[in-house]
Amino acid sequence: MKKNYKILTLKILAPFIAIFLAAFFSSFVILTINKSPLEVFYTMFKFSFRRLDSIAIILYNSTPLIFSGLAVAIAFRMGLFNIGVEGQYLIGTFLAAFVGFSLEGLPPFIHIPLLILSGMLGGMIWAYLPIYLKIRKGVHEVISTIMLNYIAYSLIHYLISEIFIDRSQKLLIRTPKLAPSALMPKLHGVLALFGIELPKHVYLNWFFVIAVLLAIAIYYIVYYTPFGFELRAVGQNPEASRTAGIDKEKVFYKGFLLSGAIAGLVGLSDLMSYFGYMDLDFPRGYGFDGIAVALIGQNDPFGIILASILFGFLRRGAEGIQTLLNVPMDTIVILQALMIITIVIINKIVGDYIKRLEKKGAR
Amino acid sequence: MDFIVELIASSLRMTVPILLTGIGAVYTERAGVVNIGLEGMMIVGSFWGALGSFYFGPYVGFLMGMSAGMALALIHAVASVTFRVNQIVSGVALNILAFGSSRFLSQVFFKMATTSPHVKGLRPVKIPVLGDTSPIIVLAFILVPFTAFILEKTVFGLRLKSVGENPLAADTLGVNVFKFKYAGVLLSGLLAGLAGTYLSLEHTGMYVEGMTQGKGFIALAAMIFGNWTPYGTMWASLLFGFAESLSFRVVESNVIPYQFIKMIPYLLTLAVLAGVVRKSTPPAADGIPYEREMH
Repeated sequence: MKKNYKILTLKILAPFIAIFLAAFFSSFVILTINKSPLEVFYTMFKFSFRRLDSIAIILYNSTPLIFSGLAVAIAFRMGLFNIGVEGQYLIGTFLAAFVGFSLEGLPPFIHIPLLILSGMLGGMIWAYLPIYLKIRKGVHEVISTIMLNYIAYSLIHYLISEIFIDRSQKLLIRTPKLAPSALMPKLHGVLALFGIELPKHVYLNWFFVIAVLLAIAIYYIVYYTPFGFELRAVGQNPEASRTAGIDKEKVFYKGFLLSGAIAGLVGLSDLMSYFGYMDLDFPRGYGFDGIAVALIGQNDPFGIILASILFGFLRRGAEGIQTLLNVPMDTIVILQALMIITIVIINKIVGDYIKRLEKKGAR
Repeated sequence: MDFIVELIASSLRMTVPILLTGIGAVYTERAGVVNIGLEGMMIVGSFWGALGSFYFGPYVGFLMGMSAGMALALIHAVASVTFRVNQIVSGVALNILAFGSSRFLSQVFFKMATTSPHVKGLRPVKIPVLGDTSPIIVLAFILVPFTAFILEKTVFGLRLKSVGENPLAADTLGVNVFKFKYAGVLLSGLLAGLAGTYLSLEHTGMYVEGMTQGKGFIALAAMIFGNWTPYGTMWASLLFGFAESLSFRVVESNVIPYQFIKMIPYLLTLAVLAGVVRKSTPPAADGIPYEREMH
């Protein structure tokens, strides 16, 4: 019993050690530009937690990352790598935008779900090809999803700047604006009931709630349904799952399409609240953030929520260090990359240690 | 005639970054380590090469570009060989690290996040028919038979391959498995760094963010298409280089929107892999971390 507590403590401690080490290593980068790492980290905290609206902005920042982390984690559970969340969400976002600006006069309770479904459909379409190529042709999903990311960038560029460009204005290259009925309401109204007043420049919206609910749903699916069992079995022990009669290809198809569908939701919070249209500067990189989020969150839906909030905080803090200390925002990209490396190394060390403990116990 | 010579010359220029990185990929994968981080190693090569050339001239530029590629490769080796973490995860992290650190340092040194000022390249050499040519192009094609020789005829090459095929057997025979895996990974970083430096110093004359455009991944595909051999990788790289240079001609003709032309290398990569993977044979222990039994 005592040993189990030890194992649990180690598993919970691991991400914190990784975060600390990553911060330590990125300090050297900060030192190269003659800034004090301590001051930089302190400024990040001060800037992020000074006011209530900062916390709301952090939660808004974390919304796409929860979706992205969940999409990556579902694939990880099967032992697959979905590096293509990036392309999947751009296609999903475009399809949702299309439904948003081309249909008018629908009531929001129909229009909004339509956009959500279109986003998921777009993500699934872009996830279908790599899993098909993997199963039928043996093409590793890492390379095919990366190639599809590049193809998606070009395709979206073409669709926005040539076909669906908003010609009612001359300044910007972007799609027409979404119909008002396609915009996701903010959380301000509900929070006001609890006496929390948020200013207008905060875009925290219902997608945050949807993301949290989805995380709970994924937790249930993974741990309490036959499909979730198959998912984990294929990932953990492909040989045993085959003898148990699990159709691996079918699980791969279903799981990867589910991952793509979730990926299709990644861009919607930005699209349907802050932007209200899609342009060439629509945020990129959420797909890669999702990989870091899934790893830091140990592929656990609740861990992913926490890791997303951490990353949302980092992004908010990065704005702070850029404006207040003139330290490039890209500091946090370096920090995130280092976190991925430190977390996998520490997980490995902790995993080996736990194995040794269990071996000892068995003896 | 001029058109054909120009097409060949431009194909060769496009081939070189893929070929250099592809040969690097041969070294690392033959030692049994998958290196998705090659793209990132090209990125740091293109940045540090430009930085070195900007301050100290092209020779230092190449030295710094290759060192930067190797430094990133060293992290990959420590993570995936010593600590045996998942090689793909480590590679993905390195790509992000390369992107973020280059952007960060570009703002510090060049005062711009995405480009450098003009930087000098090496003095071109004269070659019959092709005329003035970058020496790196010549070097890349010399590296092909050289690598084939190393892998087939030298003790180093044979041991490197044995480590990728059957690390346990190699270990039993007294080959230092970890040392050879490190060698393979570091060589791939060196060559990817060289390829990146070629892009900024020789090909463009400046560093531009994102100038590698996924060539590190395409190089991996070229190596798979080339069945993990140097000559095969060369033919595959030539195919990709030719396709890319041909697509530039099509852009000039203005028939197809250029966004679709930009997709060609990636579509070609998918098509090539879909057609060929089932027929190719990777090293038997490729991608599997080697672990001595714990007692």
